Amino acid sequence: MGSRQITEKSLSMLRSLPRISLSNLRDNPGSKKTSKRGRAQHGGDKHGAGNKGSGQRQNYMRLGYETGNNPFYLRVPQEHYYRGHHLRRQYPPLSLLQLQHIIDKDRVDINKPIDIASIVKTGTYNFYPDQKHFGINLTDEGIDIFKAKINIEVQWASEQVIAAIERNGGVITTAYYDPHSLYLLKNPKKFFESGQAIPRRMIPPPDAIEYYTNPENRGYLADPDKVSEERLKLAQKYGYQLPNIESDPEYSMFCERKDPRQIFFGLEPGWVVNLKDKFILKPKDEELLQYYSA
Amino acid sequence: MEWLGSTLLKTFWRPALNSVRTRYHADKTRLVRRYGYEEKLWCGGLLPRTLGKPLPIPEYRPYNPWTEKRAQFGQNDYIDILGPGDLHPVKTLYSVPSWIRGVHGKEYHILLRKKKMWANTGSPQTRPTKWKEMEKRIGYLYRKLNRKTKSGMSNE
Amino acid sequence: MASVLITAIKRLTITAAPTRVYSSVTNSVATVSNSSLDVTKKEWMFPPAYTKPREVWIENMDSVEEKKLGLFELHPTVFASVPRIDLIHRNVTWQRKYRWISWAHTKTRAEVRGGGKKPWPQKGLGRARHGSIRSPLFRGGGVIHGPRSGTTHFYMLPFHQRIYGLTSTLSAKLAQDDLHLIKNLELPSDEPEFLKDLIENRNWGPSVLFVDDTDIAPRNITVATDALPHVNIMPVYGLNVYSMLKHDTLVLTLAAAERIEERILLLLHAITKDKEAPFKLDQV
Repeated sequence: MGSRQITEKSLSMLRSLPRISLSNLRDNPGSKKTSKRGRAQHGGDKHGAGNKGSGQRQNYMRLGYETGNNPFYLRVPQEHYYRGHHLRRQYPPLSLLQLQHIIDKDRVDINKPIDIASIVKTGTYNFYPDQKHFGINLTDEGIDIFKAKINIEVQWASEQVIAAIERNGGVITTAYYDPHSLYLLKNPKKFFESGQAIPRRMIPPPDAIEYYTNPENRGYLADPDKVSEERLKLAQKYGYQLPNIESDPEYSMFCERKDPRQIFFGLEPGWVVNLKDKFILKPKDEELLQYYSA
Repeated sequence: MEWLGSTLLKTFWRPALNSVRTRYHADKTRLVRRYGYEEKLWCGGLLPRTLGKPLPIPEYRPYNPWTEKRAQFGQNDYIDILGPGDLHPVKTLYSVPSWIRGVHGKEYHILLRKKKMWANTGSPQTRPTKWKEMEKRIGYLYRKLNRKTKSGMSNE
Repeated sequence: MASVLITAIKRLTITAAPTRVYSSVTNSVATVSNSSLDVTKKEWMFPPAYTKPREVWIENMDSVEEKKLGLFELHPTVFASVPRIDLIHRNVTWQRKYRWISWAHTKTRAEVRGGGKKPWPQKGLGRARHGSIRSPLFRGGGVIHGPRSGTTHFYMLPFHQRIYGLTSTLSAKLAQDDLHLIKNLELPSDEPEFLKDLIENRNWGPSVLFVDDTDIAPRNITVATDALPHVNIMPVYGLNVYSMLKHDTLVLTLAAAERIEERILLLLHAITKDKEAPFKLDQV
């Protein structure tokens, strides 16, 4: 706040001024504007209510009402293009440009797999699971300048985006999370403080299974062999040389994926995380183990 | 002889005549109304100390700016910044009833909240008149705000 | 050229300063004689970029007369920022208003007891028409537009305005010589007279606010301040703009000064989106 000279000058001015106390404070002049009612000859005439009729009598009609006409919002017949739109899954977008920004500003660690939790933690992306938001849609804006090599897991991605990430030697997976898991990923601290065991991730609903089992979409339920086949196909389609990630020094990091039933990296369902004393409680009961592994 | 003396006096001594153009209020004698009536109220000066009881004046209590409450005023208002970070200052307003703590709104909204939070307590049974009056007021404000004012105009 | 030389010499003297005491110190009473001043150099997580740290004397509390025990560095972002009087004012106004609930209450004509019956017939009496003896026109009737109980003045000042309110006030206090540093709150006696003399001798204005890092202050100072209503002790988390301005002088222990620096610097460099978001009741 303020340049160095201004700071030093104002602080040295304060030395010769009386002590700042509760009795000699004031806000900047003109910072507060009090609204006044008009007075005098014409100021107090109508007080903004207009001349004659409904308006002057301050008879405020409901929104859209046209004093008996067929109102505008009812004049057009209904057309059901968007029937059920409020029930459909939404994926708030995150562009490759934004992702590159996040990486350049070092707000996310690219030496580890990136998932929606680490993106939310950067403070640049937000979503609301209760509003039918089901995670990140990685969009192609800034596709030409995207240069990072990452292992990222998003919820929706287009073909170009997949190509852009794989051309740089990265790995992308699309994975489904149910709303409850997304709540946990959005604010893990709040969940861990509640002292509950980490639940299992739900399997996708029937209409989403097709997307997440498709190797073209790098779905997390797809066969890994088919995925590597598709990687090669995509490289040929877009005409780039697919970098060999098997020879990469961080090959093990690029191979890291979550289990289809797992929500957090490194934490299995059924575990209880104690943040205060910094330890993890794991279930031992056979029944529990069976439940969480199923 | 008498007339001679008087004429001589008139020729040699003439009194100075000042024409009076104004009479000042202070010089006028006052008309005494209701002559003989004895005034029962005291008009004579400051306090009627001699007649009857002294007037009740409140006991002088000097303002003490350093009572415990005033000396500690504002404590914990920055607890989310200077504290460990998991407590919001609104949570420290213990002296404020919980149904109005950290609430901002017009009368209608505050009453709605109060009603919602008091409905499950014994209040409707133990104070039925107060409860009824609150419901009446909510109904009145609902009609006023929704049918008779533009949104954002009224203070209630 | 000369100035360059002088600054170089200054730097040399600073670097050649005798002891490097890292100051996540110590509530122990260290009696340091006046001859060996200890100069505390600090390494912050967010070092000051273009300004030098402020150097402040560490003062003693074991005698009425002032002794200087050493020098302590304070971070300029916290203790030498722009003293924005308007922000200080806004903070004080917020502190007064956000807890203020007006319980003033008047009854409307519906709530005043009685008044159901028409007081006299509409026509034929030559009197004005009235429908209720509790109409606002009547003596003892209801009040229109009167205060209604539970009027709140609550709002939250934006998060960073509150942070800058703290830094502005601390900076103003330091600039006006109203901020002093002490090692700890240990006093040699629990006499209020001793503390009173100490305050008067050092010209610390009548009212003093002591701030320590811990919740529990040593016995002597609590007993002494109990008898002096204008001398108060506060933990760091209780520190606020209003109290700093209400008291003439602010006295920080070293641990308290460090804690304040640490918290404010951390929050100024952290992602605080959740704290900047508009206040919602269910968030707290």
